[in-house]
Amino acid sequence: MNAVWMQCKAEALRILRNPYYVFWSLMMPILFYVLFTRIFNTGIDNAQEWQAHYLMSMTTFSVMGTAIMTLGIRLVEERSQGWATFMRITPLSDGAYFFAKMMGQTVIHTFSIIVIFAAGAIINGVSLSVQAWLFSYLWILAGSFTFLALGTLIGAMKKVDTASGVSNLLYMVLAISGGMWMPLDTMPQFIQNIGVWLPSYNFGNGAWQIIRGANPEWMNLIVLAGYLVVFVVLSKYIRSKQEVAV
Amino acid sequence: MEAKKRTKEATMNKPKTTTTTTTEAMKTIEAMNKTQTTEAIKTKEPNQELVMAELKGVTKVFKGKKAVDDLNFSIRKGEITAILGPNGAGKSTTIKMLLGLLEPSTGSVRVFNQKPKEKKVLERIGAMLQEVSVIDALTVKEILQLFRSYYPKPLPYEELVTITGFTKEELKKRAEKLSAGQKRRLAFALALAGDPDLLFFDEPTVGMDVTSRSLFWKTIDDLKARGKTIIFTTHYLQEADDVAERIILFHNGAVIEDGTPAEIKSRLTKKAVTFKHFGQKEAVFALKKLPIVSKVIANGDRFIVETSDTDALLRILFERQLPVKEIDIEQGRLEDAFERLTVKEEVI
Repeated sequence: MNAVWMQCKAEALRILRNPYYVFWSLMMPILFYVLFTRIFNTGIDNAQEWQAHYLMSMTTFSVMGTAIMTLGIRLVEERSQGWATFMRITPLSDGAYFFAKMMGQTVIHTFSIIVIFAAGAIINGVSLSVQAWLFSYLWILAGSFTFLALGTLIGAMKKVDTASGVSNLLYMVLAISGGMWMPLDTMPQFIQNIGVWLPSYNFGNGAWQIIRGANPEWMNLIVLAGYLVVFVVLSKYIRSKQEVAV
Repeated sequence: MEAKKRTKEATMNKPKTTTTTTTEAMKTIEAMNKTQTTEAIKTKEPNQELVMAELKGVTKVFKGKKAVDDLNFSIRKGEITAILGPNGAGKSTTIKMLLGLLEPSTGSVRVFNQKPKEKKVLERIGAMLQEVSVIDALTVKEILQLFRSYYPKPLPYEELVTITGFTKEELKKRAEKLSAGQKRRLAFALALAGDPDLLFFDEPTVGMDVTSRSLFWKTIDDLKARGKTIIFTTHYLQEADDVAERIILFHNGAVIEDGTPAEIKSRLTKKAVTFKHFGQKEAVFALKKLPIVSKVIANGDRFIVETSDTDALLRILFERQLPVKEIDIEQGRLEDAFERLTVKEEVI
């Protein structure tokens, strides 16, 4: 048990020390938040709601990025550099290693959420009820598993360069067409049509509903769960194929 | 001393082995080996309690090509074994099968009389593999502590640091910022973290400078003194000869020799006494009748007498008062035998 705990700690530390994480998952979302709530869009009707809305956009954007990129690229690195092979000759089981990775990610997601929420409270004085803060936190954390599964799918790639290119592109496309940078209804119709079916929109929309005092739509939950299942099944399938190849 | 020096010169002056003689040499070695392995199985029936690892009829096929073919050997407690052979001989494949990283196509691999992948086995082994980078973003100290946590009875932290010689500054460094040599040392430390009974080192000294290499082997000696069983692969003959108590010689995926360095030397290499002779040639050719002499060759004004026992042959030469001059003793060297194998590899 001690080993799993130590491994969780190590995984969390490794992400925290990764400059990409600090830049993409903490600095960028906060910078965007300042840009789109303090510098542009200042003449908006319901400023308070917009500030809370965009805070959720940036938090989901941040967590989605950590889940896809940090996990995905790291998995490819560990495999291509022989580390994954080396772990197999230690008594730490594959399951425990995977669990520790997920726990490490979840700890970091929690940290990101707290930091960005705090930034919102400090920069714009966003104030939500305790339930709304807590509920949105839990929603984001739960939704992150869909993107972690997508991360493991990225992690099945052979080269770090491919993985990093693909995950960056995927991240941006998902964020923009999912309405995380600008609300979806400001987008062209065809993007809106696609966007509502993307995991990113459904992830964000759950949190956007919460800060408006509503519950996430059932559709949001169903779409995220659907993607989760698809990603997990695909990832397992690819992995089993790769093992046979050895 | 003098004789040894002259032998060296003699071998150095020898022309490069040609392909034809190489093939012949290979055939002899293989033929010799066939009889020897069967003997080895009969005579060296090991005590089951002391067997740390065992391969029985192990073959591994990659894409229709046999990487290793019908391996049969066991590793006993406390042995330092070198798996020696040229590149592509199947050394790493064998190590990977012993570690459970590869499944044999046929045959069985047992470690501590269990499957290599069992947790109970993994808790008692340690390994240094090729092509493994270090884990990034953690300090040396953090990685050592992390690895210690995997094992039920890890090596005490201070002891691990002492054995691997990490300084306080190095322990605080991030692993990815270490020099190549320091990284190898970290890999070595990770192999020892669980205080394993059985250690595997796959080409451990590749990329090490002379100093760290000798330091590494000194540490291996210490580990042996602690009762560890060690298996390492190398294509440096000198290492196998210096460090190992047993050499398993691989060629083209098969074991072609298995024994102590001295045994292998005497089997693989031909010892000879060479001299100039001023008398009847027949007197020299008569030496052929001695059971210790295998061949007598006249080479210009020199004679080469191949023998299993150079000392006894010299005694006979003097007893018979043959008019000989400029005697040279060639204690065939393992290097020569090994060269025959590797040279063949290069020709292909």
